[in-house]
Amino acid sequence: MAGNNPMEQFAIRVLHPIPPVAGVDLSFTNSSLWMLIALAVVAVFLYAGTARPTLVPGRMQAAVETIYGFIVSMMDENVGPNGRRFVPLIFSIFIFVLALNILGLIPWVGAFTPTSHVAVTLALAFIIFGIVLIVGFWKHGLHFFTLFWPKGVNVALGIVILPIEVVSFLARPFTLAVRLFANMTAGHVLLKVFGTFVVALGSFEAIPVVFGVLPLAVNVALAALELLIALIQAYVFALLASIYLNDAINLH
Amino acid sequence: MPQFELANFAPQMVWLCIAFAILFFGIVMPTLPKLGRVVQARADKVTGDIDSAAKAKADADRIEADYAAGIASAQESARATLDAARGSAAAALDAKLAQSKAALGARAEAADKALGAARAKAMGEIERVAADAATQIVEKLTGTRPDADTATGAARAALA
Repeated sequence: MAGNNPMEQFAIRVLHPIPPVAGVDLSFTNSSLWMLIALAVVAVFLYAGTARPTLVPGRMQAAVETIYGFIVSMMDENVGPNGRRFVPLIFSIFIFVLALNILGLIPWVGAFTPTSHVAVTLALAFIIFGIVLIVGFWKHGLHFFTLFWPKGVNVALGIVILPIEVVSFLARPFTLAVRLFANMTAGHVLLKVFGTFVVALGSFEAIPVVFGVLPLAVNVALAALELLIALIQAYVFALLASIYLNDAINLH
Repeated sequence: MPQFELANFAPQMVWLCIAFAILFFGIVMPTLPKLGRVVQARADKVTGDIDSAAKAKADADRIEADYAAGIASAQESARATLDAARGSAAAALDAKLAQSKAALGARAEAADKALGAARAKAMGEIERVAADAATQIVEKLTGTRPDADTATGAARAALA
């Protein structure tokens, strides 16, 4: 039976080969396709929600405003008044990850979840990391390096803490990327495994169908859980991005 | 795992950067600030409305305080006027009473005097009648007529 391998759903398929530019392969793949689908969904959502913004919002505007207000309050809490300028960035990150996570959960249409690929999450994490570095050095110059020296620590302790701080800072993009990728991969593998259980147990010849009911019920519950995780991981990703930005904006 | 095949990294990373650039510059930036302005305008309007409501309430409170003060001062002046009127009325009454008392006293005195005069006159009359009667009685009984002075003195002694 085809598709029994739970890892097969993560396979990259080249849909339209594009010749490498400067040695970098740019092929349009199923991953690229689902990123563009996510873009289209987000674009429809945002353009419909802000076509004619009014003081008393309509349904679509209220929906966009809910997410906007959520991001604004998150930035106000974690960064403060200087964080307002970065609301569009964090909003973009949140809504993009959310759209990729949720669209990947649609069954039957051959949905692909780009966020289940560490390459994608790592690229996103590096974008955030790069912006944090640019903002940090832009605002504080070389003082940005004092980020690694906890305020008011004595010198002996500081020398021990310094390498730990540097390593943990450099590890941020990787932990950020792995957290999202691992959550998405694990969830999709789990759904796939229980899906194969439904087929395998349901086709038990002596008593057909009956044994397939239990893994099916589990899969229904897992689907709800995965929907929740799709939302939570998008939130965690945006939240950590805002916390890292806070380091760059407010230093300590 | 396809996730760890290095050949898959480059196209995905490049496409992610393209997609994220389109998202940020082409979708979020043209739309979200519009929403931010509306949300800000709404917040301003709400605070403005709350401010004007607070101001209206302050005005109302001030007017109410003015009104209460006006009522209190009006009551105060009314009470003062009433007290003054009551005082002057009492004084006028006292004066009138004293005046009529004096008039009445004078009349009573005059009446007393008249009464005294009348009594004295009446007593004189009675003495004379009594002396006359005593003279005639003594004359009848004794045949001698007492002189007028003795009769009068006896009558006065008997009447006193």
